[in-house]
Amino acid sequence: MRRLPAFLTVYAKELRDALRDRRTAMMVLVASILTGPVTLVLVAHFISGLEAKAASLEVRIRGAEHAPALVNFLERNDVRIDKAPADYEKRIREGRLDAVIVVPDDFQERWLSGDGARLEIVYDDSRADAGPATRQAERLLEAFNRETGMLRMMARGVSPDLSDPVKVERVSTATPRQKGAFLLFLIPMFALLSPLLGGMTIAIDSTAGERERGSLEPLLANPVPVREIVLGKWLAAWSFASGVAFLTLAGFAAAAALYAQRKLAALMTFGVPELAGFFAMVLPFAAMTAALQMLICTYGRSYREAQTYVSYLATAVSFVPIVVLFSGLKDAHWQLVVPVLGQQAVLSRIVRGDAFGFVDWLVPAAVAAAIAALALALVIRLLGEERIVFGRS
Amino acid sequence: MIAAQALAKRFGAVHAVRDVSFEAPDGRITALLGPNGAGKTTTLRMIATLVAPSGGHARVDGRDAVREPLAVRARIGMLSDARGLYARLTARENIAYYGALRGMEPGAVEASIARLADLLEMRPLLDRRTDGFSQGERMKVAIARALVHDPPNVILDEPSNGLDVMTTRNLREVIRNLRAQGKCVLFSSHVMQEVSALCDEIVIVAHGAVAAHGTAQALLAQSGCANLEDAFVHLAGEALAP
Repeated sequence: MRRLPAFLTVYAKELRDALRDRRTAMMVLVASILTGPVTLVLVAHFISGLEAKAASLEVRIRGAEHAPALVNFLERNDVRIDKAPADYEKRIREGRLDAVIVVPDDFQERWLSGDGARLEIVYDDSRADAGPATRQAERLLEAFNRETGMLRMMARGVSPDLSDPVKVERVSTATPRQKGAFLLFLIPMFALLSPLLGGMTIAIDSTAGERERGSLEPLLANPVPVREIVLGKWLAAWSFASGVAFLTLAGFAAAAALYAQRKLAALMTFGVPELAGFFAMVLPFAAMTAALQMLICTYGRSYREAQTYVSYLATAVSFVPIVVLFSGLKDAHWQLVVPVLGQQAVLSRIVRGDAFGFVDWLVPAAVAAAIAALALALVIRLLGEERIVFGRS
Repeated sequence: MIAAQALAKRFGAVHAVRDVSFEAPDGRITALLGPNGAGKTTTLRMIATLVAPSGGHARVDGRDAVREPLAVRARIGMLSDARGLYARLTARENIAYYGALRGMEPGAVEASIARLADLLEMRPLLDRRTDGFSQGERMKVAIARALVHDPPNVILDEPSNGLDVMTTRNLREVIRNLRAQGKCVLFSSHVMQEVSALCDEIVIVAHGAVAAHGTAQALLAQSGCANLEDAFVHLAGEALAP
């Protein structure tokens, strides 16, 4: 057997050391493999629930007996009418009912005399899954309104077109796949978080942990340049980060393949080409996060402090996809240069099935590599400082 | 051979080491004797290239610690103040890691581990993980780790700290054995008996400076005291009043 270069000796030792920590290794392994399937099952369940709600036309009415004309209209349109229970408001608040149309006692009289007849739709604005049912009730009432108005105008010899000068038709450009991608912003998010989870243990253990257990000083007393030691540790953290990211993404691909025939078929594609594209994006990203984690942990005075700092980094990264989702930030070229945002943009494109080229990979990868190199240079410098190696007062 | 020449180290306003000069020749055991906070550990760290001196020089076998740190480290085996082991690795793996880092062939590492295991009486420990080890067992692994590359110079920082009587006696044997091999042994201690039982040369350090230097007899003569402890108190105390 030939002698290894020092950084590979460090690399091999860190890998072996980390894999010996069976409990942590198993937890990370199980968590990363299960993330994909569990998420997809939940998303599929959510989507099929929405579809079921929208597919069957049904409304709940309180006081249907006061609105025979409305009941007649709904029945003609094959809408199932359910009576709402007396405690409907409470049930809506608790999330057991989605939307209820409430008819006042005097509705029929006012409606007949054309005297501002009023209906109420009661719903909970804060619940997203009540949305389809609410909009359905709204649309049915609008249709009823329009029919009544049309009939009355025709009875007076007025063209109904007068009240409807512009006809709006909905044409959605989203392919079914893009509809799925809206929900599947989750895969890019997991793709960006999994390397943080994977690299964390080694990053902490090989910096703050090494100092805390008193093995850093003897390690640095070896006739090996600090840069080789840092390089080996970083390679180990990067390997773990990439490995965990790959397992997580493969979990998604496997779950998507199992589900493809069923619910999500029309909604998403996450097969081998998408997996390869994702991994190509995540690999340089993981190099960056592993280096940043090491830099942060080198500053940590203790293992615990380092853990806290590292969790801040994870929070910061996980914020980006959420901010993008809620701010409605549009895909633009400048985003490629911004760490996390660039990866997020390209990954969403891959999930949506949009085109993505070499430059889309290269720019975020180059930025990540530059940040990784900078972070490692700083770690090397810090480990040459007495206050970092021997602790600070 | 280890030589310190007017070594000084300042941490901010604190002068941890002000002026330390001595020579520790090959085939001799030299002790840095001094109370806690005298600057012994910082001096040893400067020699081992882990701390950059603010003044003076440290040389190991004629090589300067600042200019040739890697060459100096390669010629030193250091048991430092921090002697942490990797708890998930076995004793053998802990020692072999350092052997590999010092550029040894795997075969040479194995041979060296076998030799040190006999010397330190630690064969049964070799293939156990170190997380359950006692203080003395940890110490043995840490010493073996420091000596795996058979360095010509050995630095031990308070080696007997926290050890029981038996282990301390075993350690003394090891140190005498190193001297017999012609190595330069430099160690620090604040324990008088240990120093008098073991050392050829004694360097008394107090308040960051050398207060006295010589064999035990020479120091007794210099202080006019009957025993080494009194001599130490006398000589270290003199350095107090500059």
